[in-house]
Amino acid sequence: MDARTAALLAPLADGRYDRLALHLRRGMGDRPGDRRFPGRTEPAGVEVEAHRPYAPGDDLRHLDWNALARLDALLVRRFTAEREVVFHLLVDASGSMGMPDAKLATAIEIATALAYLALASNDAVRPVVLPADGPPRATAVLRGGHRAGGVARAAACFAAARAAGRLAVGDALAAYAAEHARPGAVVVVSDFLLDPGSLQPGIEALRRAGHEVALLHVLAASEVDPAGGFRHAVLRDVESGTTRPIALGRAALAAYRAALEEHLAALAALAARSGAAYARITAGESVRDFVTLGLSAAGLVRRR
Amino acid sequence: MTFGLANPAGAAALLAVAVLIALWLWERRRRVIPVGALFLWERVPPQPLERRRFRPDLIFLLQLAALLALCGAYVAPYLQAPPVRASARTALVLDVSASMQAREADGRTRFATARARAARLLDDAGDGEFLVVTAAARARVALPWTRDVARARATLDALAPLDTPTNLAPAVELALTATRATPAARVVVVTDLAPAASGVPADVAAAVDWLQVGRTDDNVGIAGITVEPTPFAGVRGQSATVFVRNYAAVPRTVVVDARVDDAPWARHVLTLPARDTAPLLLRSPPRAGRLDVALGVDDALAVDDRASAWIGDEAPLDAVVVTESPALGATFRAIAAAAGGRAEVVNRARWEEEPLGAPRVVLFDGYVPAVPADANALYVAPPPGNAVCPAERTIEGATVVDWDASHPLLAAVEDVGAIDVGRASRLVAPAWGRAVVVAVSRGAPFPLLVAGERDGRRIACFGAELAAPLDASDRLPVLLLVLATMRWLAAAPDAAVLETGVPATLGWAPASGAGLVVGGEPAIVVAERAGVWRAGARTVIANLADERESDIGRDPRDHPGRASVAMPTVPGARRPLGAWLLAAAAVALVAEWLAWGRREGA
Repeated sequence: MDARTAALLAPLADGRYDRLALHLRRGMGDRPGDRRFPGRTEPAGVEVEAHRPYAPGDDLRHLDWNALARLDALLVRRFTAEREVVFHLLVDASGSMGMPDAKLATAIEIATALAYLALASNDAVRPVVLPADGPPRATAVLRGGHRAGGVARAAACFAAARAAGRLAVGDALAAYAAEHARPGAVVVVSDFLLDPGSLQPGIEALRRAGHEVALLHVLAASEVDPAGGFRHAVLRDVESGTTRPIALGRAALAAYRAALEEHLAALAALAARSGAAYARITAGESVRDFVTLGLSAAGLVRRR
Repeated sequence: MTFGLANPAGAAALLAVAVLIALWLWERRRRVIPVGALFLWERVPPQPLERRRFRPDLIFLLQLAALLALCGAYVAPYLQAPPVRASARTALVLDVSASMQAREADGRTRFATARARAARLLDDAGDGEFLVVTAAARARVALPWTRDVARARATLDALAPLDTPTNLAPAVELALTATRATPAARVVVVTDLAPAASGVPADVAAAVDWLQVGRTDDNVGIAGITVEPTPFAGVRGQSATVFVRNYAAVPRTVVVDARVDDAPWARHVLTLPARDTAPLLLRSPPRAGRLDVALGVDDALAVDDRASAWIGDEAPLDAVVVTESPALGATFRAIAAAAGGRAEVVNRARWEEEPLGAPRVVLFDGYVPAVPADANALYVAPPPGNAVCPAERTIEGATVVDWDASHPLLAAVEDVGAIDVGRASRLVAPAWGRAVVVAVSRGAPFPLLVAGERDGRRIACFGAELAAPLDASDRLPVLLLVLATMRWLAAAPDAAVLETGVPATLGWAPASGAGLVVGGEPAIVVAERAGVWRAGARTVIANLADERESDIGRDPRDHPGRASVAMPTVPGARRPLGAWLLAAAAVALVAEWLAWGRREGA
């Protein structure tokens, strides 16, 4: 285990995440698991949720004999579905995530924390890094709880990420949805410095595949408020290489802030339309607070 | 609190500001900031660098602040607290000479003004120490170092000007010596003299605070009074000359009144042009005794309006000559007869049979009687081993080389120099007298004429032999010296006329009195006051005879005298600001580093 991986795992050891669990309404997987999906009854299970008339072929062990005695009707007990959910934790590793490095680091720390929460709930985790220069780099689906080494493997996967290149996140999500058609939960951690319209096809593809989608937005402090960073400079896009001379006066600053507000509002609207959870964090802020508070507010995390 | 720069030349370091601006402009042109995406910045209108104004950012301002702070530290600024009055030692040199008695137009004497200014210094001295040195003919510490203001004030009140000349230099040197070991000390001289006229070296005068008082020149004084004795001519044959000088710039008329022992002698009215001197010859005094001359004039300085002198009786020669030489006896007879006196000549045997004594003067020629004469006596060529005039041996080729011109014995002799006395007894100065004339033989000096008093009698010993013919022209100086000696022996105890402030040796010791200081052995007499003192049958007369003291006019152009001097101050504490500026530079640099880190991190 390298130092970077160890640094990612260190915040998880104090048990503060142990009382939390990821919450989702969709994405029920095929394999049995501990996560209950009310309303999605099945013939076998632990918790009786409903009855239905007996049909030939039903397992007689599930016939409700008490109902037969009182109602003189053959009813079969239906149980709450308990399935495994596969959490796809997608980390944007495009070049913009490296400006500054804290953005990618924050994204990786968030993804690692979510892997921990998922594995602690006996869910499955698939850590995925979305690079700009190739297909997504991912491990096999990790299972077996958070003490089985899955968290470390997920952290190692994320720690290997290097921000570089230009990535069309929307296209990448669409491609990922096509490749992983089984329902699950897709958490995308990115700076989303792109046109929200270009992101929408990818999210819709995920939704169509039955995935629960969450968009976790990581911004740098200088992107939230560039005031004080410079007065005069030539800004160069690290992904495209294009430049733009900027004099950051009052008017320019106001224009930037307006653009940012509009962009954030568009992302939030896109998430609302798509039924995706959306939460935003500024790099450098406490990831733990973001997970425990920010994601709770977004409905992605709740107490067990 | 004043601001100053210890290294103003260091302001040249501000050129570094221009360098900083140039670097900043150059860096602005080349600065490229990578950003994650220009997606949001596309809403911000671009601005070409060339058209942008000089708008320094926070980092530049912090760099500028650090640079200015460093430049400021380099020029070493400081805050100078206001000077604070030093708890100083003040040595006051107060002129107490005669001219300080001059009364100015405001009715106050110069000394009163000087004392008032000294008192003001005392008030300003605070808890400092005070030393008072009076300067007249002599310097005197009137008050040693003290913080006792009351004592210092009492000392000042008790001081009064003397009638002596001024000798400021020793007093100033004394005060400077007393303050030399104290850094925060000063010397203040209060006098009516300008520094240039005071006799104080210019570099010394520059080291002291000089307060000059007085301006008036309104003074007419007796510049001198001279009594030229005419030996053996009697009282009526005497005369006196009085020099009256007008020191003022305007003509003055004065009345000169001369009296001898209160007996009127002469009264003259003199009209003196401005700054002119008039001699007044007075003849035929009414009697022998003390001559008092007074000027009737209302001027600023009174001490020189009176002067005294002594007129001796100068009685005709009445002597006994004890000699074995008939020629010498005849010579003295002839001389005495010519002057209206007499000389009785006897041989040694005759003298031993019947000594002749007072009131006549006795001249012993080559002989000293076994029994001392009961008269004033002159022993000529006393033989070795006698009991009166110690003599070693007889020597040849003696020549006079020195003499005591102040001795009254020589008052009537104009010149004694280079008398070739030939054969003489080598005298030894006795305890009762002193050498009046010194001769030399073969390179060895010895007393030739010794005079003094013993058992109430005047005695003189003359070593030269009175070989005949004594009245020859080449022997005339010796004869005159012998006659002058006999005149002195015949004179009644008279007076010693002194100049105030000038030490004198009288050959006798008057008692100290008010204004008359006597000390030492033989007695040294200094008169600090003009006046007359009685000492038995003798009289001591002291006059102010100093041109500088009587010439009291002071031209303010000589020295722009100050009315007062400020208390010395020591510079206030100097608070260097360099360390603060260096700290500010460090803070600015740290802030700049943090801002740079934040910007680069962003």
